[in-house]
Amino acid sequence: MAGSALRRLMAEYKQLTLNPPEGIIAGPINEENFFEWEALITGPEGTCFEGGVFPAKLIFPPDYPLSPPKMQFTCEILCRWQSVYIYFTCSGDDPMGYESSAERWSPVQSVEKILLSVISMLAEPNDESGANVDAAKMWRESREEFNKIAEKIVRRTLGIPT
Amino acid sequence: MRSLSISLLSLTLTSIVIANAYYQKKQFYPSVVYITKSNPSMAVIYIQAFICVWISGKIMRKIFFGQLRTTEFEHLMERSWYAITETCLAFTVFRDDFNPKFVALFTLLLFLKSFHWLAEDRVDYMERSPVISWLFHIRVLSLLLLLGSMDLHFIQHAYQSTITKGASVQLVFGFEYAILLTVVINIAIKYALHSVDLNSETPWDNKAVFLLYTELVMGLIKVIFYVAFVAIMVRIYTLPLFAFRPMYYTIRNFKKAFIDVILSRRAIHNMNTLYPDATPEELLAADNVCIICREEMTTGSKKLPCNHIFHTACLRSWFQRQQTCPTCRLNILRTPTTNNNNARPAQAPRVQPQNPFMNPFVFGGNPFQVFNQPNLGNMQPQQPAQAPQGDQNNQQAPAASAAPGAATTQPQVNIPPFPFPLNFPFLPFMPPPPIPPQDLATLTPEELQRMEGNERENVEARIQCLRNIQVLLDAAVVMMQQYNTTVAASTQPPQPNIQPSTSQTNKSTTTTPSSSSSHNSVIDSPGSSNQSDSPKVAKVAPTTTTTLNPIPENARALILPNQVLQKSWLLNRVNVQLTKRLGNAGCKGFNIKATKKLINSSNALTDKDNAHMHISDIFVK
Repeated sequence: MAGSALRRLMAEYKQLTLNPPEGIIAGPINEENFFEWEALITGPEGTCFEGGVFPAKLIFPPDYPLSPPKMQFTCEILCRWQSVYIYFTCSGDDPMGYESSAERWSPVQSVEKILLSVISMLAEPNDESGANVDAAKMWRESREEFNKIAEKIVRRTLGIPT
Repeated sequence: MRSLSISLLSLTLTSIVIANAYYQKKQFYPSVVYITKSNPSMAVIYIQAFICVWISGKIMRKIFFGQLRTTEFEHLMERSWYAITETCLAFTVFRDDFNPKFVALFTLLLFLKSFHWLAEDRVDYMERSPVISWLFHIRVLSLLLLLGSMDLHFIQHAYQSTITKGASVQLVFGFEYAILLTVVINIAIKYALHSVDLNSETPWDNKAVFLLYTELVMGLIKVIFYVAFVAIMVRIYTLPLFAFRPMYYTIRNFKKAFIDVILSRRAIHNMNTLYPDATPEELLAADNVCIICREEMTTGSKKLPCNHIFHTACLRSWFQRQQTCPTCRLNILRTPTTNNNNARPAQAPRVQPQNPFMNPFVFGGNPFQVFNQPNLGNMQPQQPAQAPQGDQNNQQAPAASAAPGAATTQPQVNIPPFPFPLNFPFLPFMPPPPIPPQDLATLTPEELQRMEGNERENVEARIQCLRNIQVLLDAAVVMMQQYNTTVAASTQPPQPNIQPSTSQTNKSTTTTPSSSSSHNSVIDSPGSSNQSDSPKVAKVAPTTTTTLNPIPENARALILPNQVLQKSWLLNRVNVQLTKRLGNAGCKGFNIKATKKLINSSNALTDKDNAHMHISDIFVK
C-alpha cells in the first residue's frame, strides 16, 4: 500500500473529478507527484471578481492531512483577506499567521473545502484581518478604484486586453 | 548548453596547455614537470579536473537517479552551499596539510555526500509516488550498496592511517564517513519499511512508529558521533567550527524525534486506555468512513468521548500533533471519563452515536413522571384499537405489547398520536427484539403472559421506550425552532431577529437532551430524578404534534418566493449541523451570542465558511 497521505490525496482527486463542485477545478500537475496540485478558481458571481479564472498552486506536506497544505495564487490577485486555516500567499501577502493556521487546521478539511472557502473569501472579504494592508485600505476607502483594478485582473486572467 | 560550452572551453584550454608544454619540451617527462611548475597551467588543469568531477557526477546521477525533481535539486543546491563553506572552514584548521591530495579527498567527500542527500530524498519520495518501478528499486539498492561500501572503505582507511601515522586530517574524514554510514543505514531502514508497506495489501499501521524509533536511534548515534568528534578535535587541534552547524541540526532533530516518540507513546497510551474500540454496530450505524484518511473503517477504529469514530492509526498520528477531536475539536484529554459511563450500561454498544433520536440514555428526567404526562394519556385510548380482536386479552394486550422491548411498543405508542415518520429508523437500534407477530389476537395467553413480564427489566424496557419517544419529540422541537429562527432571520435580513433566537435558546437548553452530565447521572441512579427538566419537556411535547411535519415545507415555501435560493444551502447546513450536534453528548445547550452572530451572518449567505464556523460556535460544550 502506498503512503496514507498519497491515498488520501488520490481519494480527494477522485472525488473532485467525479463530482466537481461548481467553480473549481483542481488536480495534480503531474500524476507522478500527487503533492503538487494546480487549481482553477472562478470568481464568484456578483462580485468584482465575477468571470475571472484564477490559477493557484497547492503544495501538500508529506504528512497531509495532518498538516495544512500551502496555497499560492499563481496570478496577480488582490488579497484583502487572510485565510483561517491555510497558509496562503500571494503578492503583497505577509507570511505570518502560518503558525495559527496550522493550529486551526484539522484533517477534516479537504482541498474542496479550502477552495470553497477561498471563493467565499473572494466574495466576502474579511476587512478586519486583511493580509495585504494596501488592498484592504483601498477596499475600505476607494471601492471604485478597487473594483477597477479587480476588473483589470479578471480581464488579464481571461487573456482579454485591458 | 552553457555547461557544454564551459566543458568544451576547459577541454580546449587543457589541450592547449598540454600541447604547449609538449611543444616546448618535446618529451613526456620534462613536459609534465613543466606543467606542474607553471602556475597558470596548473590552474587550467585544476579547472579541468573539477569539470571532470562535475561530468562524472552528472553521469552517476543519470545512472542512479535519472531526472532529478525540482525539490531534490533545490535541496541539493542548498546543502552543497553549506557543505562548501564548511569545507573551506575545515581548510583553515588543516592549512598545514593543504595539498592537492587533500583537496581531492575533500572533493570526493562532497561528491559522496551529495549522493547521500539525493538517496535520502529519493527514498522519502517513495511514500509520495503512486508508481514505484523495478528500475527504482534496482537503482536505490545498488546505490545504497555502493555508498555503504565506499563509506566503510574510507572509514577503514582513515582508521589505519590514524593508527599508523597519528592524528591528521584523516580524523575528519573518518568521522565524516562514519556519519555518512549512519545516513546510509537510516536510508536503508526507511527503504525496507517503505518497500514492505508498498508490497502489503493492507495499510501497515505500525510503520509510522517504526520510522519514529529509527529516527530516534539514528539521531542518538549521530549525536554521540558529533560530540565525540568535537571533543577529540578540541583536544588535538582547535575548536572545529565547521562541525557546529551540522551538530546543531543533528541535536535539534534528535530532540524533535525524542519529543515525537514521547507524544506518540502518550497518544497510544491514551488510545488504549481511555477510548473504547468502535463496535461493528457503531461502524455500521455511523458513516463508516474515517474522516482523516477518507477510507472505510472495518476494524481497528476507536470512538472518542464525543462519539466520533476514526482509525486507530490515523488518530494516533493526529494526537501526536493535537489532542483534540478532528471533527469537533473537543479536547480529549480533558474529558477522559465520559465514555466510561457510556460503556457501562449493557445497552451502550447498541447506542447509535450520531443520532440523538435513537439514544435511549439521553433523556434526563424522572422516568415515572413520563407516565403522568399528557402523551401517556394520548396513548391509552389508542391501545385497545391496536388489538381489537383480542377479546379475551383486552386487558393484557397493552402491557404485553410494551413488554419485550421498545420494538414492539413503539408502533403502539407512536403511530396514532404523533403521526410523524421518524419512528421507523427506531427499530434497528433497539434492545434485542424478539419481534412478536403484530396481530396480538393470534397469540396464546401463555405467550402474552411471557411477553408481559413483571420483572424489573421489563419495566425498565417500557420506561426506556417512553423516554425514547420523548427524546424524539424534544429533538424535533429543537430542530424546528432552529429552522424557524433561521427562516425568520433570512427573510428579514436588515433587522436580525433576536427575540426568537433567545427564546429558542432558553427552550433548547432545557429540551436539548444530550447533556452528558444529566443523562449520565440518570443512568447511574435511576431513582434520582432531574425534576426541573421533565415538566418543561412535557409542556413542549404537545406543541410538537402540531408543528412537526409542516414546518420544513413552510420553511422552503418562505424561502423560495424570496428568490434567495442560495439560502437553502445555509438552512441545509444548519440542519445537518444540528442533527450532528444533537448526537454529541458533549453539547450542553446553545450559545446565545453565537446564535445572534449566525443570524447576522446569514445576511451574507455567500460567506459559506463563516456561516459554517458560526454554526459550530452556537453549541456550548
